[in-house]
Amino acid sequence: MHRVPQLVDKRILRPTETFLALGLSSEMEVLRLKTLARLYARGLPSDVSWEDLLQEALTRVLVGSRRQPAGVTMVAFLAGVMRSLKAEHWRRVLNGPGRPDTLRIDDQTAGPRATALTDPTPGPERSLIARQEVMAIERLFAGDPVALKIITGLGEGLSAEQIRQAAGLSETDYGSARRRMRRVLLREGLTCEPK
Amino acid sequence: MRTKVRGTSPQMALARILEALGQELIDASDEEILEAARDLGIDPTMKGSAAFAGLKFPATPRLSDFFELDVGRRLRAPEADAALPNPNTRQEE
Repeated sequence: MHRVPQLVDKRILRPTETFLALGLSSEMEVLRLKTLARLYARGLPSDVSWEDLLQEALTRVLVGSRRQPAGVTMVAFLAGVMRSLKAEHWRRVLNGPGRPDTLRIDDQTAGPRATALTDPTPGPERSLIARQEVMAIERLFAGDPVALKIITGLGEGLSAEQIRQAAGLSETDYGSARRRMRRVLLREGLTCEPK
Repeated sequence: MRTKVRGTSPQMALARILEALGQELIDASDEEILEAARDLGIDPTMKGSAAFAGLKFPATPRLSDFFELDVGRRLRAPEADAALPNPNTRQEE
């Protein structure tokens, strides 16, 4: 006979809920963080989701391992934490689990030691993921040639002024394109669909 | 001898794009967020709004979020249960 399992009697609060309950962020700020997490999760391997990135960043703040500096808004601070978590993730992937053979600068042991050096250059997998993500971002703005020019300029490291000059845009056109891009990014960030 | 031109690596290009677009999102106003949500047919002011999927509740609900599954019970440490007093037996004074 089919048996219906019991309903769960213990509910584990998610870091976002704790954050809201403690008044550390408003609901609008949490939504802004969701859009940021979905953006920053681009370029990470598929086993790391935007939820992992955001909840880990919130957990680090809740347990006190990351402290918000004075004068920095919570959203900007958490955006920085998420970016550093992403960099940390790639460092771990490149270096492998743990570095037990690390030499201290004041190491006194005599004699030669063999130390395996890892290649710090990004591998082909990371390059491929990055290339695919740039293309995915370009697809978001496929119907907007001005936005595409801005994306290309940003990728080349140009400043706003340089992008405007290269694309032949007036300040008004540039501002309007940025507003359109922000709207697309917010829509993409608030969607319930998986990445 | 020809000058060797090195293009921007995809990682560098992606990092720059994400940095700039991230700043746009940080600067977005509450009104812009609400407008984008309205475009999607979502009302973040409603209780249980889909906008909070992945924030207040999982984006992809699993059976274990609602039901006590056997595997979850088996994962519980038996020592932890033994340390708790049995409510059905009276403690000796």
